[in-house]
Amino acid sequence: MDWAKVRADFPSLHSQNGRKAVIYFDNACQTLRPRQVIEAVIRYYQEFPACSGRSMHRMAAEVTREVDQAREKVAKFLNAGRKEEIIFTRNTTEGVNLLAASINWKPGDVILVTDKEHNSNLIPWQMVARRRGVILRVIRTRNDNTFNWDAFEQAFRDGPVKLVAMGYTSNLDGVTLPAADIIKHAHRQGALVFLDAAQTVPHQRVNVRALDVDFLAFSGHKMLGPSGTGVLYGKYRLLEQLEPFLVGGDTVSTSTFDSCQFLPPPEKFEAGLQDYAGIMGLAAAVQYLSQIGFDAIEKQERTLNEYLTNMLSEIPGLKIIGPADPRLRGGIISFYIEGIDHHRIALMLDQMANIAVRSGQHCVHSWFNSRGVAGSVRASVYFYNTLEEAQQFVDALNKIRKVL
Amino acid sequence: MFCVIAFIVLSILGIFSASNRQLAREALDCVLRRVTLRPCTTGFDEKMKAKILGYVITRSEAGARFLNKYFEPLSWVFFFLLVGSTFFAVRGFYLYYTTGSCNGLNQTGFCVFDPTGQNTQFSTVDESCPVTPGGSATVTLEGVDISGFPKISGANTEPIVFIGSYGCDYSRKAYPMLRRLVQKYGAELVFLYYPVKEHSDYLAKIGYCAYQQDQPKFWNLTDRLFTVEKAHLEDEAFIMNLLNEVGLNAQSVQFCAKSPQTEWVVKQQLAEVRKTNFYGTPTVFIRGKAFVGPKPYRVYAIALEGLLYWWK
Repeated sequence: MDWAKVRADFPSLHSQNGRKAVIYFDNACQTLRPRQVIEAVIRYYQEFPACSGRSMHRMAAEVTREVDQAREKVAKFLNAGRKEEIIFTRNTTEGVNLLAASINWKPGDVILVTDKEHNSNLIPWQMVARRRGVILRVIRTRNDNTFNWDAFEQAFRDGPVKLVAMGYTSNLDGVTLPAADIIKHAHRQGALVFLDAAQTVPHQRVNVRALDVDFLAFSGHKMLGPSGTGVLYGKYRLLEQLEPFLVGGDTVSTSTFDSCQFLPPPEKFEAGLQDYAGIMGLAAAVQYLSQIGFDAIEKQERTLNEYLTNMLSEIPGLKIIGPADPRLRGGIISFYIEGIDHHRIALMLDQMANIAVRSGQHCVHSWFNSRGVAGSVRASVYFYNTLEEAQQFVDALNKIRKVL
Repeated sequence: MFCVIAFIVLSILGIFSASNRQLAREALDCVLRRVTLRPCTTGFDEKMKAKILGYVITRSEAGARFLNKYFEPLSWVFFFLLVGSTFFAVRGFYLYYTTGSCNGLNQTGFCVFDPTGQNTQFSTVDESCPVTPGGSATVTLEGVDISGFPKISGANTEPIVFIGSYGCDYSRKAYPMLRRLVQKYGAELVFLYYPVKEHSDYLAKIGYCAYQQDQPKFWNLTDRLFTVEKAHLEDEAFIMNLLNEVGLNAQSVQFCAKSPQTEWVVKQQLAEVRKTNFYGTPTVFIRGKAFVGPKPYRVYAIALEGLLYWWK
């Protein structure tokens, strides 16, 4: 793969206004966008800025066709059974909230989560537990932050589980769950499975049919797509059973003053005017990723993470969160240095070398609070990052370690 | 301590930039927490320290290490420097406001508010003149008899005394301001004419005689002499015309100016002026203070009426 050519597609990777080019290692928060995605967004506003699925004129027909094609592209990207299983949302968080609000809960139902869920896959379930009398059970991961099978199986032995809702790949440490096995086990026990795949879909091939997952959500902005875009996948028969979340325009076929007839999925979940430009941008991102190919993406991320892990391991006092083997951590390396504030490290990296990383608790406060860790610096790479950038990051970090 | 310094510096920078204004707000929050003995929870000090260290580390690792180690003591040092420089800056501004110079009354050192020294310029007397230039501290009205000099009566017990010369640019600048003070506050003004250039000596006698002849018309004459082209001051024919124009009897004034008695009186008056130890014109005495050089109007007004002169 000619990565230099790939990098040329990303305008924000190059120096602008006389500033040194950014070394962008905050891809777990959101990725940069290639020219193709930006152009797709612009194309909507320039060529057919109209409503989809409502009006009859040519511009509207064009938008309807583009949105339909985008849905088809995303469905194909995930290997979904049919395009109607794809619901466009604003982001993963909205997908989780949609699901949490739409399932027909009964008091005493059990939801299983792990102890390192992103707040987006924790707080909505906490709210369901509070409002509907549902029980939220947390499975503690092992000491190296990998999945704890014993605890998982024990949870089922403790009583029936309605839903397993887990982060497929952790934004904290990059560890990916053995999802296929988890789903198999959960299904055997009669539980539904939802996967928060925000950190998975951008980095590895996700085949929803092979996984047999019931629901899965991800965000566009973490996979080269526009911000404000996301997807909730659901098996069609299950989506049909869900109550709609947000309701209103374009969710019903007809209404009277005291009743309405909801449209079938996905329309009944897509209330109001959608972000058509974003959806088209998301389709362009899906196409771009498909062209790059996940084999190449995974290989590049693994190379970078192995290099970073080896180099960072030599820094005294530096502790990496998660398993020691970088191959288990995807493109994420989350670490802290004893006695040094993580925000200070991040700010200094930014100031001295224009290196963008994330610092803090990465919306996984519950894990940090339970482990008594104040926070960490998270470097998350993507396929457009290079070994030279990784070297500069290591050099800068070494300098900081010497000074602080 | 860093928050305090940052707050002051960022507040000043915030006047010009919105991003600094936001930082100044964060610094203020930090300061308020510190003064109420609570920890600074906004992370402001940490953020700024990291930014500074990040900048320094690219230039000198040793410097960054030193800064990191002694950040708090250095903050204190800068705090005291800031307090000291703020004190001197405020003092300088106050002095400039009240005396026209950042360095104090009649001081000629550099002043940032008056970089060209406009407020402290004056015309020195000719070398032939027996006045010895000296410091403004020795300039005084003590023991000087000003009773025979032209004056405009006013309400104030202590008159404004103006030593000036028609041919001096700086006196020409100061005179209208003094007239304005007289008009606005009803101040008493005494004018001590002193010819800093020899060729205008005769105007002392003309002035004396004009005042003897008609006081209001003398002031009209003075107003004109401070505004006409300076070259005309050497032209006796022009002066004669001017006397006539203001309604004085030119011939009578000229006759008076040539009399030995006038010469004697004027000589006595100039000797009396020299007793003030003045060393340049204009020199203005207001309430015991001597202002050498043309000051802004507010400086004279403050000396006469106090800081709230504009209120009156």
